[in-house]
Amino acid sequence: MARKDFLDIVSLDRAEIIHLLDQAEPFKDLFTRSVKKVPALKGKTVLMLFYEPSTRTLSSFEVAAKRLSADVTIFDVPHSSVTKGESVRDTIDTLQAMRADYIVVRHRLSGQPAAIARQTNASVINAGDGAHAHPTQALLDAFTLREVYPELPGRKVVIMGDILHSRVARSTSTILDKLGVEVAFCGPGSLVPKTRFKRFTNYEEAMNWGPDAVYQLRVQKERQDAPFYPSDREYHAVYGITEERLKEISDKGIYVMHPGPINRGVELCDAVLDYDRCLIPQQVENGIATRMAVLFGLKPDLKNEPS
Amino acid sequence: MNLFLQGGEVATENDAPQRADVWILDGVIKNVGVIDVPEGARVIDCAGKIVMPGMFDAHVHFREPGQEKKETILDGTEAAINGGITGVVMMPNTSPSVDSPTVVKRVLEQGEKCRIPVLTSACITVNRAGHEMAPIAGLKEAGILMLTDDGDAVPNAALLKRAMEYGKEFDMFFASHCEDPQLCGPRALNEGPVSYRLGIQGTPALAEEICMDRDIRLAHATGAMLHIQHVSSAIGMETIRWWRDERGAKVSGEVSPHHLMFADEDIGDYDTHYKMNPPLRTREDNAALLQGLKDGVFRIIATDHAPHTDFEKSQAFVDAPNGITGLDTALVSLHDRFVVTGEFGWDLIVKRYSAEPRRMMRLEVAEVSEGKPVDLIVFDPDKETTFTKEFMRSRSSNTPFLNRTLKGSVEMVVLGDEILLER
Repeated sequence: MARKDFLDIVSLDRAEIIHLLDQAEPFKDLFTRSVKKVPALKGKTVLMLFYEPSTRTLSSFEVAAKRLSADVTIFDVPHSSVTKGESVRDTIDTLQAMRADYIVVRHRLSGQPAAIARQTNASVINAGDGAHAHPTQALLDAFTLREVYPELPGRKVVIMGDILHSRVARSTSTILDKLGVEVAFCGPGSLVPKTRFKRFTNYEEAMNWGPDAVYQLRVQKERQDAPFYPSDREYHAVYGITEERLKEISDKGIYVMHPGPINRGVELCDAVLDYDRCLIPQQVENGIATRMAVLFGLKPDLKNEPS
Repeated sequence: MNLFLQGGEVATENDAPQRADVWILDGVIKNVGVIDVPEGARVIDCAGKIVMPGMFDAHVHFREPGQEKKETILDGTEAAINGGITGVVMMPNTSPSVDSPTVVKRVLEQGEKCRIPVLTSACITVNRAGHEMAPIAGLKEAGILMLTDDGDAVPNAALLKRAMEYGKEFDMFFASHCEDPQLCGPRALNEGPVSYRLGIQGTPALAEEICMDRDIRLAHATGAMLHIQHVSSAIGMETIRWWRDERGAKVSGEVSPHHLMFADEDIGDYDTHYKMNPPLRTREDNAALLQGLKDGVFRIIATDHAPHTDFEKSQAFVDAPNGITGLDTALVSLHDRFVVTGEFGWDLIVKRYSAEPRRMMRLEVAEVSEGKPVDLIVFDPDKETTFTKEFMRSRSSNTPFLNRTLKGSVEMVVLGDEILLER
């Protein structure tokens, strides 16, 4: 894979995805050893540019980069000249002078990482942009699902919740589809756009479809500028995994996934976290290995001066 | 000036181009037909070329006063000349807005310095804010004919109704940018599979359809004349047709070259040269709008020339400003996309992009016929034009045609006693 940037899943083909998943496996094995580091990116610099608050993705990338022996710089956006109104373009021109090899970007605007990638010779990794894409989340989701189902084609996954505002739904549905998994969306009618995937607005109908895993999304309260459903309470009752529904899920042996952070009592009841087929902890652990594979596979274009 | 355009095809709004010589003397068309070369005339070989009246663009944004980095009135008119356009109507969303006789005067004074006539429209509401009515009588006195809050709809239907009732006395006509503000997404992007793929909340065509229906109803009820600007959707087009044909409403429509040619899927990977408001819709809408143009639902073609700097347009799609330039490219692109392919002929272009917009603005129609003042262009359908930054005269180059080569070339522009352009 001679890509410069890692911006979305749509532009990857199946072979590239499988190659990345395969690459992540030895990295994961590394975590069981006493020395968890390899010298693959020794002397390289990874810059974290997070315009949106994030704990798990930021630290996951940081750990991944450090386990590859890279130097990591976290650009402190809240305390930077960005708050003085500096444009993203001017910030990138400034950072270019620091000669970072990799820039990991999260931004509230869809398409911002793509705009940055056109401006810099460093490899740009999209750590989530608006409602557009979260490709490393998709990769870790696929990796996690492949651990429990080594044969992915023909498996069924229903992604539930706020599809409309979710970059996770977009990227994860795309990667699973490319790997042969049957994908469906389920959620309130106001939050599930019509796409080429099967669409449910009724929880029971979605479960009767026979999914192997239920992927609950975080209800994106911070991204909703207008009401799309009446209340969290009603949401939980109609589309959340309640105690009662967890029993059905458990009886059928269905896996539960979630990108985190969770809203307890909205999309999930607390008991889900103790359910033995809840894959949330594995998702977090696999995030590091898959992000290592992404960093390892990219080729910054540092010979040329920035355009 | 004594000019003899020999052997060209003279285009009119009613018929296919006819072979004729055109003799121009001192700003007047002396003769059109089969003529001997007049004594002392400079002869221009026009064999295989189209000779037709200058185009007129009734929807341009020249950014002056206030945003001269994007465009000035002077550069905007030079871009028009470069594209074979010999008259324009500016939109009032400058900074300050054209909402008072003082600003109108300032704009028209700048326009006087240009080589083609510059008209301007003015706001319906003060500062286009949708709260108070602009001084309509004063604007009329300053020479304003068209009122519009272009860039946005008037959000308050009662205010628009009152402005229409009041403006009737002053013989104003209203032009509407139709988009229901509440149905609009925060960004100029059609709601559909493309907006989902890009992860940006879109604006459904419904926003245009509903607002258009509202504005036409208000105009019909108050007796105001209404012009609907830059229609983007099939149902929007049908809305005008229905009100005009079934209810006799005094409503006209406008279509831009980009809404005829491009669709949201052309945005690809966040290409901001396809971002404008109202947004590009679908291929089906392109086809319906083209049919509407052929059927005469659209009275005029206008570019909505909207210059922005490279820096502004290189931001992320959601942050980049709305609009693309059009004056340098419009005529050549219409030729390349529609005349070459046989979708329509030169008569439609002359009617919809030269004659009707002038009638709408109550100006004398430019014609290549005996005794008329000179206002004409020569177009070579066999030559090609490559739209490089250097070629285009607009101060900005935010167009999908940047660095693309299209069939056709504006070879000459003659207005009054002056050759404005000769390649």
